[in-house]
Amino acid sequence: MGMGSGDIITPIVIGIMLGGLYALIALGLSLVFGVMRLINLAHGDLVVLSSYIAYALLTYLGLDPVVGLVISIPFMFILGFLIQRYLLGKGFAVSSETPLIIAFGISLVLQNLNQILWTPLSRGLNTSYTHASFFLGERQFPATYLLDFAAGIIVMLALRLFLTRTYMGRAISAASQDKRAAQLMGINTNRVYGYAFAVAMGSAAIAGVFLGMTFPFTPTSGTSFLTIAFGTVIIGGLGSMAGTFFGGIILGVFQTMGGYFLGPASQMLIVYVLVLLILAIRPTGLFGR
Amino acid sequence: MSDDIVLRMKNVDVFHGTFQALWNVSLEVRQGEMLALIGANTAGKTTLLDAISGMLHPKSGSIEFLGKEIGGLDPYRIVELGITQVPEGRRVFPDMTVLDNLIIGSYAGIARRKKPENLKIVHDLFPRLLERKRQVAKTLSGGEQQMLAIGRGLMAAPRLMLIDEMSLGLAPIVVDEIFKVLEEIRKRGITVLFVEQNVNRTLQEADRAYILETGRVALSGTAEDLRNNAEVKKAYFGVDSCEVKPGGYGG
Amino acid sequence: MERLTPIAVVVVIAVLAALPLIGAPESWILYVFLFLVYLAMANMWNLLAGYAGLISLCQPAFLGLAAYTMTVGTWVGVPWWLGMVGGAFVAALFALAISVAVFRLSGVYFAIGTLVVPEAIRMVFYLWRPVGGKMQGAGAGYMVKGIGNLSPQEIYWLALVVAVGSVLILRGVLKSRLGLGLAAVRDNERCAASSGVNVFRLKLYTFIIAAAVTGFAGAVYYVYQGYIEPSATFNVKWTMTLLLATVIGGIRTEGGPMVGTIVVVFLYFLLARYAGYSLLIQGIILICIMLVSPQGLVGLARKTAVHPLARRITTLGRKAG
Repeated sequence: MGMGSGDIITPIVIGIMLGGLYALIALGLSLVFGVMRLINLAHGDLVVLSSYIAYALLTYLGLDPVVGLVISIPFMFILGFLIQRYLLGKGFAVSSETPLIIAFGISLVLQNLNQILWTPLSRGLNTSYTHASFFLGERQFPATYLLDFAAGIIVMLALRLFLTRTYMGRAISAASQDKRAAQLMGINTNRVYGYAFAVAMGSAAIAGVFLGMTFPFTPTSGTSFLTIAFGTVIIGGLGSMAGTFFGGIILGVFQTMGGYFLGPASQMLIVYVLVLLILAIRPTGLFGR
Repeated sequence: MSDDIVLRMKNVDVFHGTFQALWNVSLEVRQGEMLALIGANTAGKTTLLDAISGMLHPKSGSIEFLGKEIGGLDPYRIVELGITQVPEGRRVFPDMTVLDNLIIGSYAGIARRKKPENLKIVHDLFPRLLERKRQVAKTLSGGEQQMLAIGRGLMAAPRLMLIDEMSLGLAPIVVDEIFKVLEEIRKRGITVLFVEQNVNRTLQEADRAYILETGRVALSGTAEDLRNNAEVKKAYFGVDSCEVKPGGYGG
Repeated sequence: MERLTPIAVVVVIAVLAALPLIGAPESWILYVFLFLVYLAMANMWNLLAGYAGLISLCQPAFLGLAAYTMTVGTWVGVPWWLGMVGGAFVAALFALAISVAVFRLSGVYFAIGTLVVPEAIRMVFYLWRPVGGKMQGAGAGYMVKGIGNLSPQEIYWLALVVAVGSVLILRGVLKSRLGLGLAAVRDNERCAASSGVNVFRLKLYTFIIAAAVTGFAGAVYYVYQGYIEPSATFNVKWTMTLLLATVIGGIRTEGGPMVGTIVVVFLYFLLARYAGYSLLIQGIILICIMLVSPQGLVGLARKTAVHPLARRITTLGRKAG
């Protein structure tokens, strides 16, 4: 990242593609926030969990990470449903802060768990194609970035389709717009929340795989990705899948531009600062409701 | 339960936390009728509807629908059983299109299977909803939103429809239109229980009515009887002088 | 009957103060020291989260900035005790600065915003070394200078003062107009706002006070430790400890943080061998407590109210709560 002097096109293109990855990570968070007004503090760690699962499947079974999704998506889906049903959902009944604290607890449990299982050493998902590159004219880019971008678009469209064309998806949408009206329409909001969270975890599973193929990850990476996801959601507006996608692109470009002008070491810091700035100025996001 | 009676509430008490909102409320809803619930803002009308819809659970007393006890059930169960509420303020889903709003109305139970035919019925009753089917709901006028809310309620294939404050903020001519549609709905065998503040108009349209005062049933009877009732006249039409009898009008 | 409790409190303080003098083993002193530092911070977190509704996840920023101010101060000739005061001041100033950004946010956003802040600061201190020459490894690691003639006992007593001070400050705030205003806001924010309560200012003052005390306690901790570096300082482990202590004890009770901190330090002692599992275990405990007994141990005691002494301790909070 940050190719130095002169060529500004490369960081822009990279920023856009990276934005696809960021959107991929953020879509689940956006969905959950739109429906339940809950920022799942454990989201980043759940994405990283998926990266570790893919790592395990790759290392011990030789399964290609994308193929491994066949296992990890259902696993994360069910895990998500259970977390919502038995942990977060029960927390809502206590008070509105309780789910937040519980999510915080889950986050740290996951971090420690991954640390015990995998040591703090950074890992990556390496396959035959993760180090390939492709050319746009004379410029060379890593192939994984393109895969990330494609995955981002596909998942975003899939989620949109789900939310607008299926009954459960419509129910999720309705519950996020007006909970009381949704209940009066015969929607079992508790069940809907469970499914929303489960779907979000499914998308997190995908995000984890592509993340692992793009960047090395450690047990504590979750916090950075939570921040990125949160920044994306904030910029793009809550609950809107397309908005989140564009939010990701904006964040990605902003980051690479920052790296271009201020040096690569400060890239994460720039993201943090941007998030705080947006929170200060316009918390509902650029496209938000 | 006689064939005639669709819903029966017996001695129902409902609390909001520690505050008692309904006191020993009993009422009956008969098949195919237009039943009105009248009362001032704080009388407990919405609370009563919410108790029927399952949004609130009675502390004591029973609510029976078609012979089955429904007090204490979750709201979605009650919609599945055939009661739908058109809530106060319409509450259409603002960011969804008109069509999507209608479709989500058929979410529960058997309504899904009936979606195509119900959709046709709703479009026949409210042609404007067909015209504007791709329009986002929050851009509709108040009257159109009310039509959408009622149409959405119909999509649930209800036996009993509860409508809360439908005429609030609407021009009289729009209210007329909607009452006409309610008449059509009635012809299809759906019973309507509606809540209103506008007593005059209500007693013209309804078959029977209950009058609620601070959480209790103060009066009930046919619309005709209530229209001619001296106390009702005095309290709601201001016909007589402002002589206040000791102890209120003690119904 | 009522006079018993203040006497008991004085006795406890006296005993704690006497510990180093009566030859208690050094490890005990260390654990009690930790208890005192954590207690001060937990009281402040309780003030923020329990009484002001601000689930603040940026405590590490406050304690870290204060501690760094003090440490850097010692490198440029500012005596450590003055640096501590300066540190508390810096922490308060920082709270003021970020309040603009984070206060417009409701609970959820506020939590995320405050989560990001310590991370950002950690990054800053990785890249930036305020004083002194280049160093191997991660940026701003420093020894604290000028504390050679300080004995551990003196630092211990300082911690005791801070801990007692935090209890008094908490009490003072809750009994003051600030406390009343916070109670009103907790009850019904819109009502409070429309009856003239300046909600923003209430939260701001609370935030600043909490930041200052937390900062001061942090500086005390690092004087004891003698060495500071960014990754352990601006670390979510602090947040977890404070959260757990307050929640286990009982959020929004005066006695809660005290009980909870005892439990947390005790856990720390028990799990010393399993340091690698500490967050895991703490996380699980946190989740269980929130689901099973969200009012914490104090809340549980209140409900069962068996032992009269326990009841008297727990109702310490009732009067001002």
